[in-house]
Amino acid sequence: MNSILSVLARRLATTTLVLFGVSVLIFLIARIIPGDPARIALGPRATPEQVERMRETLHLNEPLVTQYFYFLSDLLRGDLGISLYTNRPVMTDIAQFLPATLELVLLAGIFMVAIGLPLGALAARHRGGWPDNIIRVLTLMTVSAPSFVWAVILVLLFSYYLPLFPIAGRIHETIMIPPVTGFMLIDTILAGSWDGFWSALHHLILPAFALSLSGIGQAARLTRSNMVEVYDQPYIEMAQSYGFPEDRIARKYAFKPSLIPSLTIIGLDFAALLGNAFLVETIFAWPGISRYGVGVILQKDLNAIVGTVMIISATFLIANIIVDLLVAYINPRIRYAERSK
Amino acid sequence: MSADLALSIRNLALSFKSWSGTSQVLHGIDLEIKRGERVALVGESGSGKSVTARIILGTLHELKSARISGEVWVAGREMSSLSQSERQALRGTDISMIFQDPTTALNPVYTIRQQFHEVLMRGDPKISLSTAEQRSADILREVSITDTERVLESYPFQLSGGMNQRVMIGMALINEPQLLLADEPGTALDVTVQAQTLRLMRDLVRQHGTSVLFISHNLGVVREFADRIYVIYKGRIVETGPAASIFDDPRHAYTKALLAAIPRLTGGGIPEIQEDSEAFFDPMVTHEDVSA
Ligand SMILES: Nc1ncnc2c1ncn2[C@@H]1O[C@H](COP(=O)(O)OP(=O)(O)OP(=O)(O)O)[C@@H](O)[C@H]1O
Ligand SMILES: [Mg+2]
Repeated sequence: MNSILSVLARRLATTTLVLFGVSVLIFLIARIIPGDPARIALGPRATPEQVERMRETLHLNEPLVTQYFYFLSDLLRGDLGISLYTNRPVMTDIAQFLPATLELVLLAGIFMVAIGLPLGALAARHRGGWPDNIIRVLTLMTVSAPSFVWAVILVLLFSYYLPLFPIAGRIHETIMIPPVTGFMLIDTILAGSWDGFWSALHHLILPAFALSLSGIGQAARLTRSNMVEVYDQPYIEMAQSYGFPEDRIARKYAFKPSLIPSLTIIGLDFAALLGNAFLVETIFAWPGISRYGVGVILQKDLNAIVGTVMIISATFLIANIIVDLLVAYINPRIRYAERSK
Repeated sequence: MSADLALSIRNLALSFKSWSGTSQVLHGIDLEIKRGERVALVGESGSGKSVTARIILGTLHELKSARISGEVWVAGREMSSLSQSERQALRGTDISMIFQDPTTALNPVYTIRQQFHEVLMRGDPKISLSTAEQRSADILREVSITDTERVLESYPFQLSGGMNQRVMIGMALINEPQLLLADEPGTALDVTVQAQTLRLMRDLVRQHGTSVLFISHNLGVVREFADRIYVIYKGRIVETGPAASIFDDPRHAYTKALLAAIPRLTGGGIPEIQEDSEAFFDPMVTHEDVSA
């Protein structure tokens, strides 16, 4: 366990460095973009005096390095400025929109792992047989169309023709839940509303599934190919020579080692869900951060862009840390390499 | 099959079916191992040694392209008359196998302790953790491992090849199988370690009274280990007899060629018999077993 903790410590240190780098990069990009932030903030009708006063408050007349440190200290205090798009602190917007996306992406990630990995393992266990062929065709279909195409198809099929799932929104409009964490599934429980919880889950399933479909296919195909490679290893033949049942060999002997090369890539696919979430959020009218992010980009809302990019990078990096911990947990070589450092 | 036989093979033939046709790999093999006897099957690469082992083990029966005929009696049962699950039940209990490279044959993501426990559960599905621990440590001491605690909690990559080899030998013997198959054991190790572990294995199977089929392409390796030897060439047994008389008086042209190749083999390499001779297809030679 110590070794897992030291993997964690190491990754937290590098993540902090990366976030610092991201902050420099975003800051520079925000300053290089043509247009005076003060003028953009005040709108076209502002007088030169007003603009000058704004430049003073925004420290725009100071050297770049000084400006960066103002930016950084605001950032560390959780102050990302005011969004022009919503006229509220960017932090408030993020706190409102991020949980909706995280809820969506986390459930999609759960689908990806809980459906994709077993499908891939099943295909590998019966490699060359009919389950393998069926799974190959299905997963090829899911990876060959992007998430938003699946979103449209699923909405048509399961909300329109077969009204099994709601078309849009996070919860039934008659249910009022006071926001606490912003996670609807949690807030409904906090409010003691089981109806609310089921309604929120009901609203979440279809968009999350649409978002996860190509990830499911990718995870399944990756798991299959890595596991088929493991099946050629001598330790599988040794397990067979001891008469272990084939299903046990698949689960215990072949699947676990095959996760070592799969997990890192599945982690990246998981992080990519954040990016793919935009069109899915748009189709399902899901009030998430991806939709907000595109909105603020179109508005050239600088503070909000900076805030959104920082938060999405941080989420991305946290997902990476979790994957690294899982890899260390599964692969003894990494744990022991860490211990001997 | 008489009761004093651990293995009896009668007229075993094997062919593989593929798109391009059938290829005959074994052309009617007869082979016997008495209880407690150590027998070697020796031949060059591709002669059909490993497929023979996999038929005895019952794993090749699962391959759709394999056509197997003849009889293979193990532990009083004929392999091809058994169902898949009956064959499986024999493995790990009545028959076990040792592989060429110990380090890749052990699972990389489980500790030696966990792997011993799995194998012990083949013998006794309800075995308690403490009994499993006790028995694993006992067998490790038998293969001359003294720091059993450290070895048990190690992963294969943390142990040397020789250490893994001993672990694998211990694992193969822990359920007291009647028949042990060893397919070129330790060829991946360096020569001195290989010799050391082979000696250890020989003493151990002698103590346990285990019958062994030892597969090798190197007659030299087999010399100290085997009571009797079968020489196989292109899917046919060409010569068989007690080890001493094969070495003292090789009569088949192929056996002579194999023996002549030994001095070049000190590195543990594969014998290179330069050219195939017509005489290699001469009829089988059987040495009289004086002890029988
Ligand atoms: N699954 C298979 N399908 C088709 N042919 C096979 C298969 N397995 C083995 N063979 C063929 O059977 C022959 C005997 O193979 P086998 O593995 O028994 O050789 P071997 O005597 O063990 O040689 P080596 O010393 O190289 O291990 C070879 O010609 C091989 O190509
Ligand atoms: Mg072989």
